[in-house]
Amino acid sequence: MDLFLQQLVSGISIGAIYALLAVGYALVYSIYNFTNWAFDAFMAFGAIMAFIAIASLAMPFWLAAILAIVLTIILAVGTEKLAYKPLRMRKAPRLFMMISAMGVNLTIVQTMNKFFGGTFRKFPVDSVQPIFIGNVSVGRMDLLAGAISFGVLALLWVFLYRSKWGLAIRASSIDIQTASLMGINNDAVAVIIFGLTGVLSTVAGVFYGIKYAVFPMMGTITIKAMIASIIGGLGNLPAAIVGSMLLGVLETLVAGYISSTYRDLFSFLFLIVILLFFPNGLMGKSGDEKL
Amino acid sequence: MGYINTILILGGINVIAALGVSILTGYTGLFTIGHAGFMALGGYLSAVLIKEYEVHFVLALIIGGLFAGVASLIIGYPSFRSRLRGDYFAIATLGFSEAIRLLLNNMKQVGPLNIGGSFGYSIPSGMATVPVVVVALLLAMLFAHMFVTSQHGKNCIAIAQDEVAAEMMGVNLLRTKLIALFISAFYAGVAGGLMGLFFAYQSPSFYSITQSSNLLAAVVFGGIQSLIGPFITAFVLVAAPQLLLVMEEWRLIAYGFLFVLIMVFRPQGLLGYVEMNFNFVKAGWNKLVARKSISRKAVH
Amino acid sequence: MNDPILKIQNLTVDFGGVRAVNNISFSLQPGEFIGLIGPNGAGKTTVFNLITNSIRATSGNIVFKGKSILGKSPDKICRLGISRTFQNIRLFPQMTAYENVELGLHNTPRYSLAEAFIRTPRAQRIEADTRRKAHELLEMVNLEAHADKRASSLPYGLQRRLEMARAMAARPDLLLLDEPAAGMNEDECEELIQLIRRIHDEMKYTMIMIEHHMKVVMDLCTGSRIYVLNLGSFLATGSPEEIQANPDVIKAYLGERKNGH
Repeated sequence: MDLFLQQLVSGISIGAIYALLAVGYALVYSIYNFTNWAFDAFMAFGAIMAFIAIASLAMPFWLAAILAIVLTIILAVGTEKLAYKPLRMRKAPRLFMMISAMGVNLTIVQTMNKFFGGTFRKFPVDSVQPIFIGNVSVGRMDLLAGAISFGVLALLWVFLYRSKWGLAIRASSIDIQTASLMGINNDAVAVIIFGLTGVLSTVAGVFYGIKYAVFPMMGTITIKAMIASIIGGLGNLPAAIVGSMLLGVLETLVAGYISSTYRDLFSFLFLIVILLFFPNGLMGKSGDEKL
Repeated sequence: MGYINTILILGGINVIAALGVSILTGYTGLFTIGHAGFMALGGYLSAVLIKEYEVHFVLALIIGGLFAGVASLIIGYPSFRSRLRGDYFAIATLGFSEAIRLLLNNMKQVGPLNIGGSFGYSIPSGMATVPVVVVALLLAMLFAHMFVTSQHGKNCIAIAQDEVAAEMMGVNLLRTKLIALFISAFYAGVAGGLMGLFFAYQSPSFYSITQSSNLLAAVVFGGIQSLIGPFITAFVLVAAPQLLLVMEEWRLIAYGFLFVLIMVFRPQGLLGYVEMNFNFVKAGWNKLVARKSISRKAVH
Repeated sequence: MNDPILKIQNLTVDFGGVRAVNNISFSLQPGEFIGLIGPNGAGKTTVFNLITNSIRATSGNIVFKGKSILGKSPDKICRLGISRTFQNIRLFPQMTAYENVELGLHNTPRYSLAEAFIRTPRAQRIEADTRRKAHELLEMVNLEAHADKRASSLPYGLQRRLEMARAMAARPDLLLLDEPAAGMNEDECEELIQLIRRIHDEMKYTMIMIEHHMKVVMDLCTGSRIYVLNLGSFLATGSPEEIQANPDVIKAYLGERKNGH
């Protein structure tokens, strides 16, 4: 039972990281209808910037995190303006947008690989004693990560459902052309969405870096978040969170009880099985094309 | 001389896999960054069949290709079925490809077989000679050309250009996409098998995202809806690094930049929508004959 | 009295809180040509989308040739015999005019995959036959001269004609035309009227036409019916003369800028 609870805690903490990433992915997908492969790069970039700020510039953790977030926002918004907006303006097919996104991803990740090096670095944060609930140890950092993830997602919810700009974004996610006809500034929406992407990916990246390690290819974890988003139901933010927690917990249980070799294979097979029975994800609604 | 052979063989193998990706991405508009996974399936199965069961290598390659094809259907069917036209397929193939690579990396034993895990799996050498690869390449080009010029291929092109309109005009999207996928996975599987024959060795490291990126690059650079374009670029992408060794570490960075630049400025790539066909050859022949008869007349 | 080829029964669709189509019913006999008009936003294109199932109905039934087609996939519905053009033209942009039309003919390939790889004489004969039929359709809409031009390079009016040819290539029994005269001037409208009349006479399709150009509608629906849709429900139905004189119809269009004659 203790092993189970321990795995559960571990699963929830990785699920929280997936949730941040999945929501970031779903945000872009629901409005622009393509997969932002560069998300991978944003996460690694954020984590590495924070790492450098702490390790080389001796900044305190919180300041480094904020600096990293700001830098990643600039990167994300810049990517949108240079690599996506020209295509979006010409209504380029989804394939072209994905190729561009993959291009951005390759450029950023491989540049970091060249200059930062591929070795796994330990995030320079003092290791703290985990707290114990019964026989189950819960890392303090995991608790912090969970709390902050929850906080960030709650803030996002407030923003989307209680603010004017949030309303603009939700309108855009239904039909971006109609939204712009109603006076919503598409460029501003793009800046906000990709800015949010920058925030979410950096927070996830920093916590992932603390929990595991920092290295340029660390962003490959975002594929799990995308899978989680699909499992929950593509384009739907609460579904992305549900899918993430579910995937995080299940795959950790598989890794714990069977073998960690099969963890990724399990996630992939789980995706296929879910799609067979729920073609639109667990909570997804079928979408209708505008004609 | 052996150096030229290496380039010819590796280039040829790369072209075969790139033709598969061209059919799926260039002609049907389906993004894939996971075809290395299909290469791995075909590669490992054919290697095992040759080494453990003494199957003739041609048969082994074909079986490997078919195995990769069937696996692709298992991914493709749930991905393409949904009404919500999501990027399920792109994500599923990437997830699959990585899962396969990690699995092969960590697994030494599959039942009674030792497939080496990250140390690789060695097989008898000497079967992937230049003639073998050239024949495979010619057949690959021929069948790819036959497919894309057929009514089946034209339906793929319609899907790439406007999937919803194609559906409304009666094209069965699921079936057409699965056909394109199966063919592309078959090509990848055969290419994987040939690679193992050339190196006399299979290794999970052959089948990373970098390999998938290489294939995508061949199609993006070579051109959408073209076979001759990716044919050229797939060869060049293999030959050039060998010649420009210093560029190796910048290669992926360059790919990234080029992907974005090409999409923004010239999305159809080098030879997009340009297809070699026999009219080309016939026109050239006619010109030649006309010139000969004019010169003959001039003499008399 | 023959069985109707299309029977719409109590068709309704809700989008969130908005009822876009509200409990409409009507029937069509084979070979009829009817007009569907109404102010912008009345739900006319939505009706087409419901018939072809690009939008799922909330309730009601659609019976085509005696069988319910509710919930069938759009490609199946097309193969059963319903084809359409689109309000915002949806041609295959990089394909030539010829290729666009040909697509309708081979939406289900007419030979097997194996024959695709090794082009048997039978497959070649089939391709020649398909080519011939595609050129016939291009002739019919006077686009033969533009056969090898990229669809995206054609002027707007020609694109609309091409869409019609492509829709016809799918061998429909029921042809849905969505604003075929949009953006046309008076001369072009006149040509279009002649063309649509010829298509209807020669091919004997059952046809429903959505249109805003009143002249086009009234002309083509002479001797037939027009349905007027407003806010998702039928406001009136009758002959062109009756509709033009109907005070409710006139009121519904008041305040809306008419872009017809």
